[in-house]
Amino acid sequence: MIPRLPPTPFLRRDILGGLGSIAMASMLRAEESWLPPDGLPMIPQRAKRVIWLFMRGGVSHMESFDPKPMLTKYAGKSIGETPYKEVQNPEKLKKVRVVVVNDANGQQRNVIYPLQTGYKRYGQCGVEISDWFPNIGSCADEIAFIRSMWTTDDNHGAQVQFHSGRHMLEPRVPTLGAWVTYGLGSMTDNLPSFINMGPRFFDVRDGHYLGPAYDAVNLKVDPKNPLTYAAPEFQIGRTQQEAQFDLIHRLNGLNAEQYPGDKTLAARMKSYQLAFNMQTAVPETMNLDAESAETKKLYGMDDKVAEPFARQLMVARRLAERGVRFIQLQHGDGAAGAWDSHSGLKKNHSSLAQQVDKPISGLLKDLKQRGMLDDTLVVFATEFGRTPGSQGSDGRDHHPYGFSVWMAGGGIKGGMIHGGTDELGFHPVEHPHYVTDVHATILHLLGLDPHRLEIPGRKRLERDFGKVIPQILA
Amino acid sequence: MSFHPVVFCRALTRALSCGVLALLPTAVRAVDYEKEIKPLLKERCYACHGALKQKAGLRLDTATAMRKGGDNGDILSGNPGLLLERVTTADKDDRMPPEGEGSMFTAEQVAKLQAWMAGGAAAPAQEKPEDDPRAHWAYQSPKSSGHSMDALLAARLAAKNLKPQPEAAPELWLRRVYLDLIGLPPTPAQIHAFLKDTSAPARLRLVDQLLSTPQYGERWARHFMDIWRYCDWYGLGAQLRHSQKHLWHWRDWIVESLNADKGYDQMIVQMLAADELAPQDRGNLRATGFLARSYYLFNRTTWLDETIEHTCRAFLGLTMQCVKCHDHKYDPIEQTDYYRMRAIFEPLHVRLDPWEGESDLEKNGLPRVYDLHLDQLTYRHVRGDEKNEDKSRPMPPGVPRVLEFASFEPKAVKLPPASSRPVLLPFVLKDHLAAADQQLAQAQKSGDAGAVKLAGLRLAMIQAVYAADLAKGDKAIAQAAALAEARYGEAKAEDDLAKAEAAPKAKDADKKIKTAREALEKARTKMSAPGDAYTSLTASFKAQEGPAENGNAKVQTYPETSTGRRLALARWIADKRNPLTARVLVNHVWARHFGVPLVADVGDFGRRATAPLHQDVLDSLTTGFMENGWSMKWLHRTMVLSELYRRSSSNAGADPRTLAADPDNHFLWRMNPRRMESQLVRDSLLHLSGRLDLTLGGPSLDPAKAETSLRRSLYFIQNADVEHRFLAVFDNSNVLECYRRNESVVPQQALALTNSGLSRDCANVLAASLAKLDAPAFIDQSFLAILGRLPLEVERQASLEGFRALNEDRSLFLQALINHNDFVTLR
Repeated sequence: MIPRLPPTPFLRRDILGGLGSIAMASMLRAEESWLPPDGLPMIPQRAKRVIWLFMRGGVSHMESFDPKPMLTKYAGKSIGETPYKEVQNPEKLKKVRVVVVNDANGQQRNVIYPLQTGYKRYGQCGVEISDWFPNIGSCADEIAFIRSMWTTDDNHGAQVQFHSGRHMLEPRVPTLGAWVTYGLGSMTDNLPSFINMGPRFFDVRDGHYLGPAYDAVNLKVDPKNPLTYAAPEFQIGRTQQEAQFDLIHRLNGLNAEQYPGDKTLAARMKSYQLAFNMQTAVPETMNLDAESAETKKLYGMDDKVAEPFARQLMVARRLAERGVRFIQLQHGDGAAGAWDSHSGLKKNHSSLAQQVDKPISGLLKDLKQRGMLDDTLVVFATEFGRTPGSQGSDGRDHHPYGFSVWMAGGGIKGGMIHGGTDELGFHPVEHPHYVTDVHATILHLLGLDPHRLEIPGRKRLERDFGKVIPQILA
Repeated sequence: MSFHPVVFCRALTRALSCGVLALLPTAVRAVDYEKEIKPLLKERCYACHGALKQKAGLRLDTATAMRKGGDNGDILSGNPGLLLERVTTADKDDRMPPEGEGSMFTAEQVAKLQAWMAGGAAAPAQEKPEDDPRAHWAYQSPKSSGHSMDALLAARLAAKNLKPQPEAAPELWLRRVYLDLIGLPPTPAQIHAFLKDTSAPARLRLVDQLLSTPQYGERWARHFMDIWRYCDWYGLGAQLRHSQKHLWHWRDWIVESLNADKGYDQMIVQMLAADELAPQDRGNLRATGFLARSYYLFNRTTWLDETIEHTCRAFLGLTMQCVKCHDHKYDPIEQTDYYRMRAIFEPLHVRLDPWEGESDLEKNGLPRVYDLHLDQLTYRHVRGDEKNEDKSRPMPPGVPRVLEFASFEPKAVKLPPASSRPVLLPFVLKDHLAAADQQLAQAQKSGDAGAVKLAGLRLAMIQAVYAADLAKGDKAIAQAAALAEARYGEAKAEDDLAKAEAAPKAKDADKKIKTAREALEKARTKMSAPGDAYTSLTASFKAQEGPAENGNAKVQTYPETSTGRRLALARWIADKRNPLTARVLVNHVWARHFGVPLVADVGDFGRRATAPLHQDVLDSLTTGFMENGWSMKWLHRTMVLSELYRRSSSNAGADPRTLAADPDNHFLWRMNPRRMESQLVRDSLLHLSGRLDLTLGGPSLDPAKAETSLRRSLYFIQNADVEHRFLAVFDNSNVLECYRRNESVVPQQALALTNSGLSRDCANVLAASLAKLDAPAFIDQSFLAILGRLPLEVERQASLEGFRALNEDRSLFLQALINHNDFVTLR
């Protein structure tokens, strides 16, 4: 049950639609024939919201969702000695754009490194998943695994690329979450539409040329201080502040009589309503006291290792329930991201998987039992995979040529594998997908046509739009 | 791509078999060519088949041209007709637009096209082809009609039978000019003073007075820091990756140049080429921070791409980023133009020179540009791929041909000795000695004999080394320098060892003592045979060329000539004959005074920018601006003293016909309200509570201290890493590019103004100063202080009630007024 907030004295439905479109309209007011999207789906909508789980640093695809027994078979041999030496054909390596020339990262790693974990079949679909992700495995019938992703940045700028579709050395463009919130109206008067939790490094913004109104609002999972300025930085009683907001509303209302038709003023009045509500709604959402012990257990809150991410995912579900459109979670500290296992891959991945495996399965199961999985898209992604060859004695390097992601929920066909890499997990050989194909699929399920989101003066490339992956649609 | 008949049949068969055409509706309905077909063809086809280019000899910009066809003849006749075939074929090699050049026609668009063609491809008889791209309005020199902007605007309103709004109340005009010109609202005393005489001469005097305050330069420097992408250095930890240290020197140069009303043409030349124009003018060398800002450690091409793109966009309103990979789709600019421009910047590099008064470049220094790679050739990158250079011919330096009103002939510049050897700058020795003197004085004060000896030897070493630097090549003097250095080295090693031995219980003491002993050993060996090699005074620091390059501090000499390419470029940009430069600037300034620019995209004056509605106004201001020595103060005066600027921004009482005919105010029958930029919100809060610290200039301030600092907001560190939490909420400038600020309205702004300590503190301070007034007087004074006007009677009543509901808490009431929409608005 979603608690309803008490109505504030000035809360009434305003004449306006989404706040976002007002900001956009004022920014581009000089454009004559063009109008921003009206916030309604353009095509039939299958999902209403997105929970975006991003593993920073680069998850090994072979040791998560794309097991490759040949690595174990040919362990210690160089790639050239295997029947698959063609994977290093220079023509096939061309698409990557190196950021730092002669960097230690991004070299070819020739000596094959064996799989560091076993794998089993899960669910009715019998998808093979590594032993580090047994709980996600238990949800396999809900998930469409995409084993044929590729990107072009050989370094961690690929995190930006996965969110925006553009290489680090190209101009910054809006991220998927910005496009979604720009294209669709808000579903709540109490919370921002686009939220980010967890560390970001290479680019902390989302809106770019759409404007800062489409940047994710950063929340900390801390009921006392979840958001900048969410609570007064001085002593003030709730009634006093209510009286203050009431006065602000009244004076702005009088001002509106002097400036009839001033859309910015109308938008500002609405923003004060939202601000007032956010002050209660944000800490309330962060507070997990009302969650049952059973639910907490489902997410792994009783496990010390899993607890921090479990908490974030429970908050994510609560945000989703309360109408937030795009909830972006970043897992893995450090500048490059914790999953970046150039050495000690086994220890690194097994312990990080333990941090996220149970919470993620908990999220999927919880959404399902609440009937929310039907219209909530859950996306599991990372910036690139890891090399089939070893780096040092026990690590894997960055691998942009091929990697895996998965999607579940609203409009997604569960229990399936889409695409595939070659025997070494090097290149996608079946249905290769650039990162924007994931964006296109998500926008499609949300009822948006990316071509109709374009704004004047900002030409997007075909590649930016991506292509919908029809095979994984339910 | 041309039409090959054979390929064509194949394509057609495929298209038919794959069913694209079969799906088309059979019922042919009337399609309006002008409304439904032409815009589609314009968007998808004209770039290659229009006035700009005629690939395969084909133009699609008139129906007649399509019938005439290209290499393959008429594209409209026949069934289904060549045009339709080529946009529908499933063969990717044949389909138009080609892959990567635009998206495929949708089924709906194809249906329309088919219907139009099936209906006989009707088009107006006198259909005009696209104009010659070279005839684009913005490429022609501006011509003044001789009329003032107000006369031109009034004539257009009259012709359209639109009625302008009356003047705004004088106090609203006053608040506009204060905020627009100095970025701070007027105080109640200033409002009272102005209201005594609001005549035109009084307004002129006031504007002149505001323009002569140093705050004017700060206010407008912030605008130009947006456009010119001001950005303090950042990287990963201590590693500098972007921009340069001490870039604030450039910011101070902008402030000072604006306050001195330096001509905009001169400013451009100094920013691009002060080192070539007047290499010894250190004050103006700061201007080249504009170029130093784009430094990028990892990728030279990215660095130069940004330099080209933003130089062109900021000064010329030319979009060049797409020309990096292919010829421009809209403008008559070719890919080779891009690489000729790159050749101008190819020799460019960045370094830190010393700044008088400081010998440690980490603490202060002058970031500046110079030509380093004088002979580096530039090649075109095939399809923009830096790994695929077209080595068949190097690109000569040059500017886009379409705008080349005079031939581009750079002349190499011979540089004075101190430019190639910064150690020769007159203050270098003095500053190094001063640092050593300071060390000596400290040593004497502490009574540490070893330290005194050391400081004395350092002084001797500095003098000897400097003498050797001056007498480059004199062996005896070099030997003396080497000896002095060895002496200092030996004393230093002795001192270190003594210190290590004096602390036997310290952590790793044994190891430290051992290391110190070895060092002393080495120093003594050196002392026994000092030779003639010595280390020059550190007087410059060359920026690293890539992450692998080390030891730059040792580079002390630079080329003795500069190519003069940047100077030639700068002079071409700042030339009166350049049709873009002054226009682009006037449009930027206009946008900041009137809310909406005359040319909608301030960064694109290319063919996508149709001739603006008020082009005569733009051109009249542009010619006036150039005739008045490119004086920005002249431009401000002209704009803020205009009738338009005095007009009310409200629709209230507007002529209903005017409101209905032009609700968006395109004809400027009223003023546009604007929102304060983030810096104005913060500065105004501090100013109206009388706490703003008006200190000018200096190193950028740590945003962590922003919460307590009282300095103006333009002085905080700004880069892609650091975010000032208050400024961020109000659409702070994006350091990657910010040609125009956003004016978003988001709830975080409400939270910042209601919940921040900053707004609360301001309210508290103001409340204390208004503590003695009775309630009605307090409310009047609060309105005046925060909104720059007195309340209307209804507002006074509402305020009195609200004040009571707040238990007459003055701070809370003032804070509510800070949240009034009119506080953040320039009404």
